[in-house]
Amino acid sequence: MTNALETELKQLIIDTLELEDVTPEDIDPDEPLFVEGLGLDSIDALELGLALQKTYGIKLEADSEETRRHFANLKSLAALVEARRVK
Amino acid sequence: MTTVSITLQDWRAWHPGRAPHADSRLSVDPQPRGASVPAMLRRRLNASGRVVCDMLSELDPEARRVLIYASRHGDGDRTLEMLYALAEQEPLSPARFGMSVHNATLGVHSIASGNRHSLQAIAAGGAEVAALFSETRGYFAEGERDVIAVFSDAPVPERFAAHVTEPTELAVVALLLSASGGREIHTRPCDASQAGQARSPQPSDLIAWLLDEAPLVCPSRRLTWTLSP
Repeated sequence: MTNALETELKQLIIDTLELEDVTPEDIDPDEPLFVEGLGLDSIDALELGLALQKTYGIKLEADSEETRRHFANLKSLAALVEARRVK
Repeated sequence: MTTVSITLQDWRAWHPGRAPHADSRLSVDPQPRGASVPAMLRRRLNASGRVVCDMLSELDPEARRVLIYASRHGDGDRTLEMLYALAEQEPLSPARFGMSVHNATLGVHSIASGNRHSLQAIAAGGAEVAALFSETRGYFAEGERDVIAVFSDAPVPERFAAHVTEPTELAVVALLLSASGGREIHTRPCDASQAGQARSPQPSDLIAWLLDEAPLVCPSRRLTWTLSP
């Protein structure tokens, strides 16, 4: 269920990154997560990588182009989790 | 005692453990807003950090002043959380690591306000007030006309409370200091009995001094300060 996973990831992002005044409805699955759109920064990227590792057992290379693509928006993040989760 | 004088122009204080006070420069609000900082930056600040940023924004609205920040213990909660994580071989939180450093609050403020002047963070083992005034004199000797000195501290985390002889109160104070034109701050040596009775001054003691409720003494430096009327 992609939608359920997207909702779960929205909540993970809000909780992990302590986004005040942001609700799951505010996160558009097609909008960029970083810089534009939601406006996350590089520390958030590292924090989110850590959360994915803890929650789903997914390990990512911090600097790779592939990670950049996975982190582009919520949809791509959900696709990553669906394909690579081990828990 | 010194050839470089320091005067007090203005101040702000936060001491949530106190009863409300008639002086509007003192806040006892248990949940400070941090309204001067955009939400995406504010989320990483704890209550003290939010207070510091709001005070700096009020005392230095054009973000053109040198800032000195002092804290004896810094952010003990975040630092200890990281040590617990390391002890359990868990990866460290990058955001927590970034905000555990001593100059983190001033760093967030400088990003939010665009202040590119000197930002300094110090810890002085209980002699923070003496260190703040000493550093201020240094800036004045170098030609700065005014600086903002911030003193912030919080109780040490509970697991370490038993190891601390002087419990710390949660409080923040920010002083707008000038080389001339305000109420002069006089520095004098204190005698042994004064030093023996005093604890290492905390932000809450500096607030009591500003409100003319108590003297301000630094026992380790054997110094006391008085404020001209």
